[in-house]
Amino acid sequence: MAIDQLTWIHAASYFGAGVSVGFGAIGAALGEGYTAGQASDILSYRPRMSGEILKTMLVGQAVAETAGIFALVVSMLLMFGELKGHTLLEGWAYVGAGLSAGLSAIGSGIGAGFPAGAACKALARQPSASGQITLNMLIGASITQTPCIFGLVIAFLLMFLDHSAMPYYPYWAAFLGAGLSTGLAAIGPGYGGGLVGSGACLSLARNPEAQRPITTAMLVGIGTTQSTAIYGFLISLILIFKGFPESTSYVPSFALLGAGFAMGFGGIGPGIGEGITGKYALDQVGRVPEEATLLTRTMLVGQAVSESTGIYSLVVALLLVLNA
Amino acid sequence: MEELTRVWEWTLDVGGYHLVFNAMTIVMTLIIMALLILFGFYATRKTQYVPNPCQMVAEMFVQTFWNLTKDALDEEMAKKYFPLICSLFMFLLLSNWIGVLPHMNEPTKDLNTTLGLGIMGFCIAHYAGIKTKGFWTYAKEYFQPVFFMMPLNVIGELAKVISISFRLYGNIMGGSIIILVVTHLVYGLVLPPFLNGFFGLFVGTVQAFVFTMLTLVYISVQVK
Repeated sequence: MAIDQLTWIHAASYFGAGVSVGFGAIGAALGEGYTAGQASDILSYRPRMSGEILKTMLVGQAVAETAGIFALVVSMLLMFGELKGHTLLEGWAYVGAGLSAGLSAIGSGIGAGFPAGAACKALARQPSASGQITLNMLIGASITQTPCIFGLVIAFLLMFLDHSAMPYYPYWAAFLGAGLSTGLAAIGPGYGGGLVGSGACLSLARNPEAQRPITTAMLVGIGTTQSTAIYGFLISLILIFKGFPESTSYVPSFALLGAGFAMGFGGIGPGIGEGITGKYALDQVGRVPEEATLLTRTMLVGQAVSESTGIYSLVVALLLVLNA
Repeated sequence: MEELTRVWEWTLDVGGYHLVFNAMTIVMTLIIMALLILFGFYATRKTQYVPNPCQMVAEMFVQTFWNLTKDALDEEMAKKYFPLICSLFMFLLLSNWIGVLPHMNEPTKDLNTTLGLGIMGFCIAHYAGIKTKGFWTYAKEYFQPVFFMMPLNVIGELAKVISISFRLYGNIMGGSIIILVVTHLVYGLVLPPFLNGFFGLFVGTVQAFVFTMLTLVYISVQVK
């Protein structure tokens, strides 16, 4: 049975659609479950505040759902979008887009659930600060979506860029690597950013007057936590835009694929580790707000050390791309 | 979908070099600088005890960032670095917000702007470090904990520049790509204002603040 080019591209777009929403469904569901669990847990202590807690829980879950919705949008586009059908490369771009959007939704989905759950708890402890806590939760959870937004951007770039002039070898691997790099590297930072946000919400419940140092430390903490997601995004952009010469051997292709894997997996650990650092630092900012600067500085130095393995991955990925 | 990667360029051949200028970025940066100068002029022209709106906004910026700078550095150094931090934030905020207006592009959507600002912050932080600690104490820190860690420490410092500039660039450029693609998909109905509100105003504010605070904290890590 001979299969023509358009059929292959069609098959690839369906495969990408499945991968995207399949992986994307993992994170948001876990995060929302965590939020609901925390809300139910605290509800038994404060049954009178059920309305307020339910409202915060639903708002928090809606934010956590965003990551899943991004993956769903990419899936829909892959299923119902128009196929160009110029080269077979288009199929690989669709698979890469699915991987990027789907994998990157895992971390941010779980992560956005943490501040929401912590906000429900914080609300029960300190009902008078409900406005500040909700605002803090929304800021924390929205910034946690940044790695997922990087994944969506790479997915859109892969889907809508004109790749008819690019050589098939090694670009098939470059597209796959671009999807893997951003997608996998977004998992850790999304998860870790959520941890930092949850620390900030609980800290705010302990000391609502320290809102300014807490929000500042939270933004800096989430910002540094996302460094490895940014490295993954960087590698993806290089893979898509660098302009590789056509090659006859498989070697450059696999170097590019390896670069995607190196940066992708290398980004997971540092993201989670930095998130844990940030969470504990944020916890203390509420207790001793006058030492917030010292805590932020120590947190930043600690995060920089735990990021070093991510930097090794970045160096290896860059070397692989340059040697390809 | 052609706008996705389009860049307005001026090319210039000088002495055998092929120079490329991103016209849109340069024009938009100049517009933003002009707007900031106008704002500064109106805010300080007739300062009163009961402030006019312009003066009030300016006082708010100054007060907030003076407190933040004073907390991060000590009072004496804060006097020196406060103007940099405050104007950096105002420039970035206006840069990120201006994309909301039709036919306007954020200069921060161009990697050249953010990388330039990142390198500027890096140089200032290291200058401050060398000046307060002296060159030998500064250089010795790269050989901690053991001497062969030196290359990795240097790469770690350079990675900070990459992460700070790509964070801003990725968020703003990503936001504008998402707005472009989604607007195209829904034929410009209903969704675009909300997307502009989220990616332009909210994400723009937060990312401007994060960039400014990280520059400040990098300086504070170097001098302490």
